[in-house]
Order: sequence, then C-alpha cells, then structure tokens
Amino acid sequence: MKDSIPYDSLMRHERLRAVMVYARYPLATQQTLRGEELQALSTTSVADALKYFAGVQIKDYGGLGGLKTINVRSLGAQHVGVYVDGIRITNAQNGTVDLGKFSLSAMESVSLYNAHKQEQCQSASEYASGATVYLRTRRPTADSLSLQLRMASFGTWLAKGNAQFAHKGWSGFLDAEWTASQGDYPFRYHSAYEDTVGRRANSDIRYYRIESALFKRGFASHIYYYDSERGCPGGVVRRLSDKYVNVGREWDRDFFAQASWQQALGERHRIKVNAKYTHEYLRYCTDYPENQNTARVNNHYRQQDAYLALCYAFHPWDWLTVNASYDTRYSTLRADLKRFEPVRRLDQKQVLAAQVEWRGFQAAASVLHQHYKDHTFAHVGAADPLDKFTPSLSLAYTLHGLTLRGWYKRIFRAPTLNDLYYTQVGNRNLRPEYTKQWNVGLEHHFGSRHWNTSVQADVYINKIENRIVCLPLKGTYSWSMMNYGYTFCRGLNATANARYNVRRWTFSLLTSLTWQRDLNRTDPADKEVYNKPICYSPALSYGITAVATWRSLSLTISNLHVSERMWSYADPEDILKPYDNVDLKLSCTHPLRFRRTKRPDLRTTLGASLEVNDLLDEQYEHIPRYPMPGRNYKFTLTFTL
Amino acid sequence: MKKTLTLVCCLAAAIASWGQRERIILLNEGNWQADNGRVTYFQDGEVVSNQWFRDINNQKLGDTPNDILQINDSLIAMAINWSNIVQFIRPDGHAVAATEDVPNNRKLATDGRYAYISSYGHECGTYGTDKYWTFERGYVAKIDIATFQLADAVEVGYEPEGIACYKGHLFVANTGGYAFQEAHDYETTVSVIDAATMRVVRTVDTGQINLYGKMSQAGPYLCINSPGDYYNIQACTIILDCDRVLEGKPDKECFVQLPYAATYNTTTREGHFLAVGSRYSYITSEYTFNYITINPTLVMESHGSEGVEASLPGTMLEDIRKMSMPYGIYVNPYTGYMYATDAGSFASAGGLHQWDAEGNYIGQWKVYINPAHFLALPPTETTDDIPRLKANHTGNGLWHDLYGRTTRPRKPGLYIHNGKIFTIK
Repeated sequence: MKDSIPYDSLMRHERLRAVMVYARYPLATQQTLRGEELQALSTTSVADALKYFAGVQIKDYGGLGGLKTINVRSLGAQHVGVYVDGIRITNAQNGTVDLGKFSLSAMESVSLYNAHKQEQCQSASEYASGATVYLRTRRPTADSLSLQLRMASFGTWLAKGNAQFAHKGWSGFLDAEWTASQGDYPFRYHSAYEDTVGRRANSDIRYYRIESALFKRGFASHIYYYDSERGCPGGVVRRLSDKYVNVGREWDRDFFAQASWQQALGERHRIKVNAKYTHEYLRYCTDYPENQNTARVNNHYRQQDAYLALCYAFHPWDWLTVNASYDTRYSTLRADLKRFEPVRRLDQKQVLAAQVEWRGFQAAASVLHQHYKDHTFAHVGAADPLDKFTPSLSLAYTLHGLTLRGWYKRIFRAPTLNDLYYTQVGNRNLRPEYTKQWNVGLEHHFGSRHWNTSVQADVYINKIENRIVCLPLKGTYSWSMMNYGYTFCRGLNATANARYNVRRWTFSLLTSLTWQRDLNRTDPADKEVYNKPICYSPALSYGITAVATWRSLSLTISNLHVSERMWSYADPEDILKPYDNVDLKLSCTHPLRFRRTKRPDLRTTLGASLEVNDLLDEQYEHIPRYPMPGRNYKFTLTFTL
Repeated sequence: MKKTLTLVCCLAAAIASWGQRERIILLNEGNWQADNGRVTYFQDGEVVSNQWFRDINNQKLGDTPNDILQINDSLIAMAINWSNIVQFIRPDGHAVAATEDVPNNRKLATDGRYAYISSYGHECGTYGTDKYWTFERGYVAKIDIATFQLADAVEVGYEPEGIACYKGHLFVANTGGYAFQEAHDYETTVSVIDAATMRVVRTVDTGQINLYGKMSQAGPYLCINSPGDYYNIQACTIILDCDRVLEGKPDKECFVQLPYAATYNTTTREGHFLAVGSRYSYITSEYTFNYITINPTLVMESHGSEGVEASLPGTMLEDIRKMSMPYGIYVNPYTGYMYATDAGSFASAGGLHQWDAEGNYIGQWKVYINPAHFLALPPTETTDDIPRLKANHTGNGLWHDLYGRTTRPRKPGLYIHNGKIFTIK
C-alpha cells in the first residue's frame, strides 16, 4: 500500500535495533507476500493469498461462504497456527481457523513459516505449531480515507471503508467491510454416466467486519469483530428434482481485542507483554419445516479465551540471544447440545530458546514445555492433564548471499475440546497428535539497481503419529474420535521470485512449486491402504504469477496448478481431477486533481480494477461433490482521499 | 478319453439345467454427501460389477442407499436415503421408476402389492395434490407398485426404522434416533399398522429405547436391535412375536429382551437369527462384542433363558472376529450360503466374505465403500453361463460344486476346479 512502510524498517527507524538483532540471513523457511505484490494478486481473503505459497494446500468447500482452511506440508489444518501481529488466533472448539474471515485490506504482509519464526522475544505459543502463518497489520504513516465498492458475479456486493491516521508517533486505522453474496453459482458434473447441471442452492453469505488498530512505538493493539450469516449448501448428490435442498444455516460472531507492548531495557534486555481476549459465538440451525433430511437442531456454541504472554530476551553478547517466555491461556466452551457440559481449559506454555549468530553461521534451539488441564462436569470426566516437552533445532550457514539451512522440529497438537468432549463423538482418552519435521534447504538473494531475485528450495520429511480422526465404532452405529494413523511424507518446496525495474515499468514473476509424496503408514497388514498416498494430497502443485506495472496501471496473471488427488482408496476412479486455475487482474489508479499537495502519496485518487477468476472456466473441486465456482468476475472501484 | 468327455458333457448339461445359484445384490453406502452409493452384483464366486446400477442404467445410484427389498418376481425396491429417492429396478438391474415422495426414507417392507417405506421425514407426497401429508413425527408411506404412485401414509413414532409385514400388518420399530439432538426422547415402541387401511392399530411398548438398525423377520418373529444410548442404557435385542401382538396379548407377553446387541442381524433358513453386535459406552469407552445365534421359538417359550447360543455356523465367528469393521451379515434364503461384509478403513474398498451353508469359509471379494445391505435373487433355471464356468474359469482357483456354487471340496463328491472336474473321495 502506498502509505505504509514495512514494520521491520519502522523498528529500525525507531532505533530499537540495538537489541533487535534480526537475522541478516534467513534461518527459518519462510515465504512472504507483502505490499504491492499482495495487492496485485486477485485476493479477497487471507486464504486466497496463501494458496500462492509452496507447500500449502487449501481445503475449500466452495463459494464465498465455504469453510477455507489450509494445510501446510500435509500436517493437517490443526497444526497451522495463524497469528495476527504475533498473537495466535485460536479456536478452542475445533482448533482450525477459517481464513475466509480475515481480510487482506488491513494487512501489510502475509508470511508462512514452516516450523516457526526465528526472532528475538517471541512468545511461547509462537513455537507451538507445526507451521505458522503471520498476518502483519499495516502501520499507517499518513492520514487517509479510502472507500471501495465492488460488484461481482453471483450477486456479490462489497463495500469497504478505511480511515487511517498518523499523528505524533501515534497511528491507527479503522477498517470496515460489508459483503453479501447470493453464491448461486452454476456447476456441471459431466462424465460418461452423469451430466448434472445446476446452481448452488443455500450457498449465500452476508457478513460485516470491523477492525481497528492503534500503534505507538512498541505498543500495538487490534480490535476485530466479524458477524456473518451463511447457508450450508452440502454436497451435490443425485436428486430427482430441486424439491429438497439443504437448509442448514450458520451464524458466526467473532470478537477479539489484543494488545502488545514491548520495551528495551538498556542495551541488553528486552521485554514484551501480549494480551488478548476472544469471544466466539456460533449458531447452527436446521430447525426449518423444509428440513426433511437431518435432525432439526438449533445449537449455540460460545467460547471465550483469555490470553497473556510474558516474553523476555537477553542479549549478553552480540552473537548470542536468549529468549524465555511464559504464556497462559484460559478457554471456556459452552454449548446447548444435549449431554454437553461447559468445559474449561487452562493451557500453559513455557519456552527457552537461544540463538547464535557468528559471521555467516547461525543456530537456534528451543525447548517448549506445554501443560494442558481441562475441567468439566461432563459425565465422562475431564481428560488427564497433558504435560510435554518438545524441542526444535535450526542451523544455517551463509556465504556470498547463499544460505544453507537445516532444521528439525517435534511438536504436537493437543486434542481440541470438540475432540475430547463433543456429545456422542468426543473421546477423553485421546492422546496428542505428534509431528516430526526435518528440513534441509537453500536460499539465495540477489539485488541490484534493476533486479531483485530470490530463490529457495527445501526438501523435507514429515512424520505424523497418532492422527486424531473420527471413526465409526466397531459394531455400533456411532462414531468417535480416535488416535489412528501414521503418515510419512517426503517433499520438495521451491520458490523463485524475480523483480525487474526499468523507468516506469516493473515486472515481477513469482513462482512456487510443491512436490510431495505423502504415504499412509498406518497398518502394514492393510495392503489396500498401506503405503498409498494420503487422500486429498496432490503429488504436484505449482503456481506462477506474473505482474507487469506501468505507472499506476497493473496487470497480473496467475496460474495455479494442482495435480490429481485421490479421495478414497476404494476405486481408482475416486480421484479429483487436476486443475489449472487462471486468474487475471487489471487495475489502474488515476489521480484526481482537486487537492494540491506536494506529497504524491497524499493525492486523491480513483482506482478501478477488473478481475477474472478461473478464466478457463474449469470445473474443479477440493472436496468431492462440493463444486467450486467456475469463471467469475469482480469489478472494484476505490476512492482514496 | 471318450468316457471322460461324455461325463463332462453330461455334467455340463446338468449344471446348465441348474443355472446360477448364488446371485447377490449388495448395496454399498459410500460416503455421506459424496454421491457414491453403489450396487455390487455378485454371482457364483465372482463380482460381476461394483457399479452395476451405473453399468446398466448409465447413471449414478445416489447418496447413501439404505435398504433393498424384492417386491415380486420382476421388481426390486431400493431406499436411497440422502438422495430422497425410492428407486425401483427389475432383477436384471434396469431402472423402472423412482419417486421422491418419501424423503429421508429408511427401510422397506412389502406384501407383494405395495411397497411400505419408513421415513424420518415430516413430509410425504407432493404439495398441492391429494397425496400430501405433513407429520410432526416420522411416518410410513405406502406405494402402489402398479402405478408407482403414493397410496397412503400414516404417522408413527419419531424416526421409525425397521419395518416388517406380517399377516396384513406392518410392524414398525420407532427409534427416536434424533433424540440426542432434538427436543424429544428416544422412542421405545413398535407401531402396528393395518396395511390395508394404513391405521395404527396398536403400539407395543418394549420398554427399551432406540429400536434402531436392521430388523430381521422369521415367520412371526422379529429380531429388533437397540443400541441403547451409548451412555447408561446398554444395547440389547428384542425378540417380538407378531402373532401374540395380533392376538391382543399384553405388551409384556409379546416380546423378550435379550442382553445382547444385534447391530447386524439376519435370518437363517431354519428360522433362526444370526447377530453380530457390540455394546459400547462413552462413559467407560469399553466394548463388549457378541456373536450369537438366536432361536426365537425357544426364546419366547423360555422367556429368554434359553435359545441364545454364543456361536455362529462353522468358522463364521472366528472369521468375522478377524475383520476390522463388520458392516453386514446375510444368509441367502435360497441356498443357505452366508455372507458378511467388512467396511475396512471406510476410505478403502470393503470386503464381501462368503461361507457355504455349513459355515465353511469360501473367500472374500473386494467391493466398494461401506457394503451393507444384501438381497439374494432366486437361482435361475437356465443359463448361458456354463461355458464360462467350465471353460473360462481357469484362473480363479475356486472350487465349484455341481450347482456351480463356489465351495470347498470337504465332502466326497464331484467338483469343478479350474475348468476341470475332480472326484474327491
């Protein structure tokens, strides 16, 4: 965005650099989209941006309202931590974050770190997931007001406003968005034995989101509220007519308020305090006369979450930093399900980490201790407390801009409250799901007056033990959560980015590639399944994005390719077809000259953009019988003051 | 040589006159909302197709088929639950008619003239016509197979499941299966309906909740499973005597409750029930498995103290115990051959296992996801299939008896194996 500067440079600007010894070279495996690149992509939510990263698999139930979660290197959505300015977005109920709820308009950058970020003064929870997504809020540097209106296919309307200020070291913004969509997109299933043509029914969504942030030096705060209502369309199955449609509806109201404050104490010490309060409300209702097919339920779920983190970094010598942090989180879940009793969870984490940087050599090691304790009056009783230590180790060596790195991380995900206590499904005896990751990679950066390039490639091995899955109980009619499954995964992630500036032209090329062999190693006796690829896991996926900018005119074209995925082991025809998703975005900004100013970034402008998603109109799906929208258009007007 | 040839020819002729013995239609439920319900057609030791309906009709079956029943010599009905379709086919697999008048359909019964379908839904028929009803609880619908039109419907308890037709009456087990989500209790009753008038004439209270799942019928006896509530109330089996119900005996004299689960059950040719079940508690997370043969006459006479044996014919019990997830059990009423399915890991193809009438294990075949509901077709009298059996069946390694059924050569006699005739002494 035109009126913001990266957080890192701001920190340098604020002379915090003395203790914030940022690694000059990348120790962690990291991918970032920021600023102009982020804006050039055809994105509406954070989920859209993440699909451009190597190693990311998006699970999407289709449409604007469909649940969108990401899976990094096949670890599973629950192993991906999503952080806004270093504070985790949590969901005690099911442990996954619907990335469709987060907009990019307030974000400066989106980053993906395999394992975790390597910085000083990190909180313990930042070490506690298999992969981490960082959303960095934009810090305004000037006053501005911007209004946006969008019209898009399938009866979609969006209105957005953003007001921001920067004054005497304080800065902040207010960002509000309202969207409504019919979501009644057409789909077609065409095969030798089927020709189903239809429109998605009960696929509408409307939501509004209000976000506000306030910053001053080491202080950052953020308030977020999201309110939505959507239909749950279900899978497309054989029906004789359109007489019966799924009628289930879902309401979400998510609120969080967070604040973070960090302060250098002299030259060698630094402290940080993070605090957050979250309230999430979910209502799911099928209690309608038209509902013939499922139980008529009207359930309400409320979860609250209070979080506090204390972090301390000690920097005794230039080459060493030691970091210690204590996090505590208190969550409650209430629901009006039958046989469900409120559950409370106290989750405490401590981390001790050290980072060494000496000439081109870097090393980081951490030990994380996690302690979970639940309390409930439920008949089955609370699960036994969980008390575990997990390590991680990273090494890197850089010579002439080329970095060679290797890291190992062992981490688990604790069973969520749904996993443990959900009526008729929960299993209080669940053990944590462990992952082990090994990674070796190379990264190279090059910069000159016209050119900027970066290349990285990482090969990795992942193992997942005791996967937490829902399985039917033997010889009964009911299902339950269980620890079942062992996965062995080998893969390669690579990205190559280049940027070329000449006069008023800028050309960017962003590419990413994932090759992966993801094997089911659960039961050697089960020949049908053992050593077969994990369902839904593609062997190959790649993305290519090209951006050409001339003055304020910009054209982006991108292609995402995902190879075929099997979705069951039962029949070779149970596969999801490979697809290519081509997106096109053309945007321009035109200055309006009724306000004279010398600063070009303060001019009044009118911007327009046209996006075409799925240009080739390919019919594809991430989940069988949940078709994704085909070709669709978005037209956006932006007025900035 | 000449003698052998003559013998072979005679045998071939003999087999030809017997035709195909084992003809099984098996419904694979598939995955919910994935529209991958499939029909397996199995014939004499061979899976002819795992997408039989699609092969013949060039269209998909639908989502989650839940029951299959032969109405008469030329008609079979299937309840395709999540597709809200009752599909009628001919025994050769050709689709004849389909109706969506009975949404959320569960199980089927017939008197040869009408098809009766239990439904969890609250609406029956087409709005705006005279055949349209709405109900607070669940219902049973009656479809005239002469026209495939809805004839009548009657409200029963919440979420009616198993249904059987006996002496002009329908016996419907009510589950109240949505009770753990909806604001009503589990049902404990069996509704008795006069099939001619479609009026509930009696409601038998079994005192046991959630009469859910497969219901088998042997003469006047019904084998009804109750999984309990998986918390405090244990699973059990109800043996109901329909004659006593129709005679107007008090509720308690009409049934016997057995302390076993009958999750998957079937009727043998002797009029016994075979059942595989487990009792599970979410409180203790503990299972108790049982594999039983029930003699309903003895059970009724002895009030449950006799007539239950913890065994299955032959090696069936040990074989089923080895399965990862038993999902259905069946006895071919024409031949006595026995079948069970194993759903395996639910994302992979299930297995169809076969035993001969004595319970000797024959083999297993790969079918599709969640194979659950069986129907045996009567053996055919004529066939053009013998050349295949004799000449082309060189590689399957199976033994066939002189009826063309797959078997194991345990007893002395003549058998066909890899296209040759063997004499076992």
